[in-house]
Amino acid sequence: MFPSKKPTMNSHEAGPLSCVQGDSGLVLTTDPKPRLRWTVELHDRFVDAVTQLGGPDKATPKTIMRVMGVKGLTLYHLKSHLQKFRLGKQPHKDFNDHSKDALDMQRIGASSSGTMGRSMTDRNAQTAEALRMQLEVQRRLHEQLEVQKSLQMRIEAQGKYMQSILEKACQTLAACENMQSSTDAYKAFNSHGSIQIDIMKDMASPMAITFPSLQDINLFNNNQLDHHMNQDDTFFRSNNDNNIFLGKKRQHDFYNNQSGKSPMIWTDQDQFGSGQEDSCKSEQIHEISTSVINGSLDMESMMDVYEATPMVSGEECRKAPVLTKEMMSPVIRGGGLSQGRNLSYG
Amino acid sequence: MDVAMANAADLYYSGYNAAAATNVGWLNWSPAIGWLSISPEEDLHDEKEAMAWQYSDDYALAGSSPETLDHWSSSTVSEMTLSSAAGTPAEEPLKLSSVGEIDKGIRLIHLLTAAAEALAGDQKSHELSKVILARLKELLPSPASGSSMERLAGHFAKALHCLLVDGEAEDNCSGIETTAITAASQLLQDMSPYVNFGHFTANQAIVEAVGGERRVHIVDFDIMEGAQWAPLLQAFMSMKDGPPPSHVKITAVTAGRKSASAAVQETGRMLAAFAASISLPFSFAQCRLDRDGCFRPAALKVLRGEAIVFNCALHAPHHHHHSPASIRSFLASAADFGARLVTVVEEEGRDTAGGGKGGFLVGFMEELQRYSTLWDALEEGFPKQSKAREMVENLVFGPRIAGAVEEAFRRREDDVTECWSEWMAAADFRKVALSFFNQWQAKLLLGLFNEGYRVEEEAPNKLVLGWKSRRLVSASVWSAQPPPADAED
Repeated sequence: MFPSKKPTMNSHEAGPLSCVQGDSGLVLTTDPKPRLRWTVELHDRFVDAVTQLGGPDKATPKTIMRVMGVKGLTLYHLKSHLQKFRLGKQPHKDFNDHSKDALDMQRIGASSSGTMGRSMTDRNAQTAEALRMQLEVQRRLHEQLEVQKSLQMRIEAQGKYMQSILEKACQTLAACENMQSSTDAYKAFNSHGSIQIDIMKDMASPMAITFPSLQDINLFNNNQLDHHMNQDDTFFRSNNDNNIFLGKKRQHDFYNNQSGKSPMIWTDQDQFGSGQEDSCKSEQIHEISTSVINGSLDMESMMDVYEATPMVSGEECRKAPVLTKEMMSPVIRGGGLSQGRNLSYG
Repeated sequence: MDVAMANAADLYYSGYNAAAATNVGWLNWSPAIGWLSISPEEDLHDEKEAMAWQYSDDYALAGSSPETLDHWSSSTVSEMTLSSAAGTPAEEPLKLSSVGEIDKGIRLIHLLTAAAEALAGDQKSHELSKVILARLKELLPSPASGSSMERLAGHFAKALHCLLVDGEAEDNCSGIETTAITAASQLLQDMSPYVNFGHFTANQAIVEAVGGERRVHIVDFDIMEGAQWAPLLQAFMSMKDGPPPSHVKITAVTAGRKSASAAVQETGRMLAAFAASISLPFSFAQCRLDRDGCFRPAALKVLRGEAIVFNCALHAPHHHHHSPASIRSFLASAADFGARLVTVVEEEGRDTAGGGKGGFLVGFMEELQRYSTLWDALEEGFPKQSKAREMVENLVFGPRIAGAVEEAFRRREDDVTECWSEWMAAADFRKVALSFFNQWQAKLLLGLFNEGYRVEEEAPNKLVLGWKSRRLVSASVWSAQPPPADAED
């Protein structure tokens, strides 16, 4: 079935070449990077499931998935959709209130003008007034959506920047540590590091997951699935491996194989390559999905930023939002979406 | 001692009603109960009583929503306190009742407050505070374990200890520490809107005010890692109603110490790299404060035609150049330069009207209140991710607590604590109203986190972020220039 209109709150990038419907009823695009299309029907089922679970605050991707029972729908899909839904819900609330007022005004106007023999001018004036209000409401809603989009972009920009700082710091550290050989330093590092790695696993926040999808894609494209294990070797690895820094360095070279540029030069490749943290985070997403997500905290990933309009002109690489089951599956399979599955490969 | 405690029990009962106590966290118990100090110093007693009344008024928030999910079950606390009051003689080990943790928590707070109080006194009472702190140390388990409250109390105890020991210079310039601190800062940003609220509000105001200009020059009082600016640069590039600025320059104010300067330089490099990644022409400069920590207008290089923005984000008041004098000099210079926009982000929750009556103790209690709020907020938002919270607590909040306590101690003789937005108003800066966009953005940001956070519009140009009923941080926007001719006011 070809959807004739997008779901109401869908802010996905338009532009698949064509769509096919899978056996499960999911519509996937057939361009080189197939992704899920949120059709009206699918979205309705989604909304039903969410309502059933007590609203977007209480529902979690896992439970939604269970309730919807749609084959081929992954937690990834649901998480991003749920986050958008949740963000979108906020302005909608206001909009509904405003529009309600507008409608009430209209009704009042209409009824009062209907009782006595009001002149045409009055009626027109009231209609015009109601229309003005409606327009105002529309404008407000539009602005709210703009705010939402821009906030997502800004949050992501910050996450990206913080990431780069962290990576730079770790690289500097690794370089320093390779020159010295103090085990004390390692220990101190590991004591923080061991917390970090667990934190990354535990961590589930609206801001923490910034740009996993591109790392995944790149990884898959480069057949780095075999090295999936290494994704877990963040510089904060807590296995008392004294070669931790060497290992990290090696991986960095591996991921940065395209260029020997210093990490300070921010290229697209660095975004992809220098991503131990990032790749770890892609796992975290799945880990997050396995942990109990309390509905009161919005734990959805920010991945759908990629499905929105591209952030900035300078980043062509980010234009392609490619979160499909196929792309994800090795990570997903590796990570395990079932609850309680341990993601560590160490 | 027992007499004091009996009095205290009366104080507690008469001056503080249980209903009020339900709403706010455990911290409120301590001031209301007069028997804080186990000091034989009798003079303190009257002061304590006076303070107890004052605090019970300040902190009793009848009518706020009773949804605090702290350890404390509100109904039992009153009985709890009484029983502990009656049953705990001066010297012996902690007697735990059925809700042992609450009991212990109260005791910790009391000891902390007592120690702080003693510190504010003379040399003799300093000895007493050493004793109290030693006792505290006994009661507190190792930093790694322990409940939230114990960890919080541990940080404050350590801060007090540093005051006593003096000259314990915290030099954590090792690479490992900074990396871990950066990671922890990022965690904090991810776990709460505490940091980003100020950043994003200020940034949106900046975009609105100077986004259409050709050259933008931002002077930042404390750039830290530069996390505020990456989103702003990105926002410049994605403005819908016009081209981005043709050049953005950021000047970071530094204290002038070499280590600080190097760190700031690194921040500049990272920002430049980021700007390059989004193809925004960018330059970075540093500007040193003078020896007294005051801002020297002559040190700032400004080009004609630049739209100047002064940004004063006071997130880390423990940084050395955050003295009131230096902040004042910075903000005053903003007027001298005719800054198009001045954004001020500061911590809230300080009693700025009361003057320096309580001195160190008041300041200490305020900090205790602030960090207990943050602790609560993090815990409620991320109940399971204790390791993450601990990392933030140890690496971000810990140093801040130490610095804040030290600051409170240093300023105990001062007459007044500055509220910078009030200072700005008094200094005749024009208020710049926050747009709907900005306010909505704040709401959306909060919506990403758990429900306890609130944003409140205290003035057309000032938003305040709070947790439950407690104020945390505020962002206000000003201008040193008259309003543009065509704008509505």
